[in-house]
Amino acid sequence: MRIIEDMVCPFCGCLCDDVILTIENDMIIAADNCCTVGNAKFLGKKRLKSPIIKKDGVWEQTGYDEAIQYTVDTLLDADRPLMFGWSGTHGEAQCIGIHMNELIGGVIDSTTSVCHGPSILAIQEVGHPGCTLGQVKNRADLIIYWGCNPVEGHPRHMSRYTVYADGYFLQNSFKERKVIVVDVRETETAGIADEFVRVKPGGDFAVISALRAIIRGKGDIIPESVAGVSREQLVRVAELCKTCKFGALFFGLGLTMVKGKYKNISNAIELVDELNRHTKFTLTPMRGHWNVYGSNEVFTWMTGYPYAVDFCRGVAFYNPGETSAIDILARKECDACLVVASDPGAHFPRACVEHMKDIPTIVIDPFQTLTTTVADLQIPVAVTGIDAEGTAYRMDGIPLKVKKALDSNYPSDTEILSKMYEKMLEVQWQ
Amino acid sequence: MKVIMEVRERHRPNLPIEAECIVPKNFVGPERTFYVWKGNKKLDIRDVFHIRRDGHANSVDKVEIIIRGDSSHIKRIGEYMDGGRITIEGDIGMHCGNFMSDGVIEIMGSADSWLGREMNGGKIICHGDAADYVGSGYRGEKRGMKGGTIEIMGDVGDFAGETLAGGEIVIHGDAGDMPGVDMKDGILVIRGDCSRACGNMTGGTCTVLGTVHDMLPTFRNEGTEQRGEHVLTKFSGDHISRGLGTLYINNFKYMD
Repeated sequence: MRIIEDMVCPFCGCLCDDVILTIENDMIIAADNCCTVGNAKFLGKKRLKSPIIKKDGVWEQTGYDEAIQYTVDTLLDADRPLMFGWSGTHGEAQCIGIHMNELIGGVIDSTTSVCHGPSILAIQEVGHPGCTLGQVKNRADLIIYWGCNPVEGHPRHMSRYTVYADGYFLQNSFKERKVIVVDVRETETAGIADEFVRVKPGGDFAVISALRAIIRGKGDIIPESVAGVSREQLVRVAELCKTCKFGALFFGLGLTMVKGKYKNISNAIELVDELNRHTKFTLTPMRGHWNVYGSNEVFTWMTGYPYAVDFCRGVAFYNPGETSAIDILARKECDACLVVASDPGAHFPRACVEHMKDIPTIVIDPFQTLTTTVADLQIPVAVTGIDAEGTAYRMDGIPLKVKKALDSNYPSDTEILSKMYEKMLEVQWQ
Repeated sequence: MKVIMEVRERHRPNLPIEAECIVPKNFVGPERTFYVWKGNKKLDIRDVFHIRRDGHANSVDKVEIIIRGDSSHIKRIGEYMDGGRITIEGDIGMHCGNFMSDGVIEIMGSADSWLGREMNGGKIICHGDAADYVGSGYRGEKRGMKGGTIEIMGDVGDFAGETLAGGEIVIHGDAGDMPGVDMKDGILVIRGDCSRACGNMTGGTCTVLGTVHDMLPTFRNEGTEQRGEHVLTKFSGDHISRGLGTLYINNFKYMD
C-alpha cells in the first residue's frame, strides 16, 4: 500500500491540491480530503480498454495506430473541421491541439463557449478586477455568490477559500465574514447566507443596474420592487457592499447563461468597479471544468483569442456566436468533429448532437460517455491527475502542476495528439 | 452596369462561403479573377456563382450587383462597400455590409446576424427579418455603427444597435432583448415591441412605439411629450452611467 499526498484533484475549477490518495495493487482505493465529485473521479472505473470504431453500426475494437490514421485522414479531408472540448485535459495537450488546428484549417473551441464564454466577452469589454483565491481567503469579509451554488457545484470552495476558511488578516474569520447569495431559487448555499436575494428569472441585469444606481446616489429613481427584490433589500445589500473592508463577488452560470448573457457580467464588473470607489472589491468567475481556465490561457497565448478560434483561412478569427461550437453544429457548418476531453453529447442541444451523428465524429476520452453514442471512433487515454500529468489553471488563473499517481499502458492526450500532428505534418510535406 | 450572380447548387449548402470580394468597386473596369473561401478551401468565385455582366462601368456608382439563388450561407457580402448597389433577391448570411461607407444594399429576404456591423455610411434596406446584432460593433468594441441608415421591415433578434455610435436604425417590426444596449449616440427607432431597451446607454435617442417589456429601473421618467402623431413617455438615462441618453416609449412594463 502506498500513500501520495498533495495530489491535485482534476474535477472542478477549485483544483484542490491537498488530496491524499491511497494506492494498492496499482489501483486507487481511497481519496481523502476530496469532495464527493472528486472522489468519484479518482475512484472511477469502467474505462475503455482500447480504441473502438463503428463499422456498419456495430462497435469493433481497433488498434491505436489505426485509430490515429483514421483521425488524421478524416480531419485532413474535411473542409471545415471542428475541434471541441479541451477543458478536461492538461495545457500541453491543448498546445498541440491548437498547432493541429492551425495546420488543418479548422475551428477550435473549448467548453468555455457553453459556460463562462459570456464572462470573457464582458471582460474584453470592461476589464477584469480580479485577484487570487488566496487574497479572498485571507482578506475578504464580504462574499457574494451570484447565480452559483458552490455547496453542490464546487463543494470545497467555501471551506478552502471563503466562508469557512481561516483568514490571515481576520480575527475571527467565520464571524466577521458576511455572505450574500443571489439566486432565482433558495439553494443549499442560500441556507448559509446572511442575506439571500431572490431574483426573478431573467432579472439579474435590472438588479445589478439598480444596485449601481443606489451606490451612485441615485436610489430615488428605483421603483419599490425590482425583479422580485424590494428596494429596502437592495439598499441594504448596497450598504453591506460599500461598508465591507474587502468584498469578493463570485458568479456562476446563473448569471452567464441567462437572458442578457455577457451584458449581465459587464454590468456586474462595472458594479465592482463602482464599489472600488468606496472599498476594495473583486470579481471571480466560478469556472467549472478543472482546466477550462487553462484552455483560455493556452488559446490566448497561442492565437490571441481565448476560445472559439476559426483558423479556416489560415489566420485566427474570433467571433463567438459565429465561430463557437454550438452555433457551428446547430447551423451544420462543419463536416467533421474531434471531441477531446469533454462530453457535448450530454450537454449540447439536440440539433447539435444530431449533426455530430451525421458527420464523422471522433472522441478522445478515457470513459464511455453520451458522446460515444454519436461518435464513429473513440480513443481511450490516460486521465490527467491519475495516470498522466500536466499543467492546469485554477479558476483564479493560478497554474498548478497536476501530478500522476500511477503508471498505466494508456497514452496521454499529449502523446496521442502529438502522433496525429506528426502524421499530419508528414502528409503536408508530401 | 449590372452584374448578375446566381449561386450554383452546392453539395453541402450549409458550409458557409466567405465572399468579401463581392463589392461593387471590384467590378469597375476590366474583368478580374476573384476567390471565395469555403471553410479551408479557396475557390474561384465562378465555382460558387454563375456570373453574367451586362455592360461596362467606369465608376463604382454605376455598378449594380444582383445576387440570386440560395445565398443564406454566403457571408461578408458588401464588406467595406463604398458605393454602387447590391440587391439580394433571397436571404443573406452573416456580416452583410460590414464597415460599409456608401452605397445601397437591398435585401428582399431576411438577413443573418451582424447586418451592417460597424457601418459608417450608406443605406441597408432589409424587407424580411434580421437576426441578432444589427448595426452593432465587434466583440469588445466600444463603438458600433457610426453612420448611415439601416431599415428593417420585419423583426430583429437580440442586441440590435449594440454600442450604436451614430447613424439611424429603423425597425418596423419587433426587436428582441436589449436593443440599443451600451448605445453612445445615433437614433434607434423600433415600431413594434422589445424588452429591456438601451441598458447602460450613455447618449443618443431611442423611440419605441410598441411596448418595452421588463423596462430597466434606472431610467428617470421625465413625463409625456408629443412626438409627431404619438404622445410618448420620455425617459432620461441610463443613470448607472452619465444618463445623457433619451428614450421615448409608448408603453412600458417593469419586471417587479
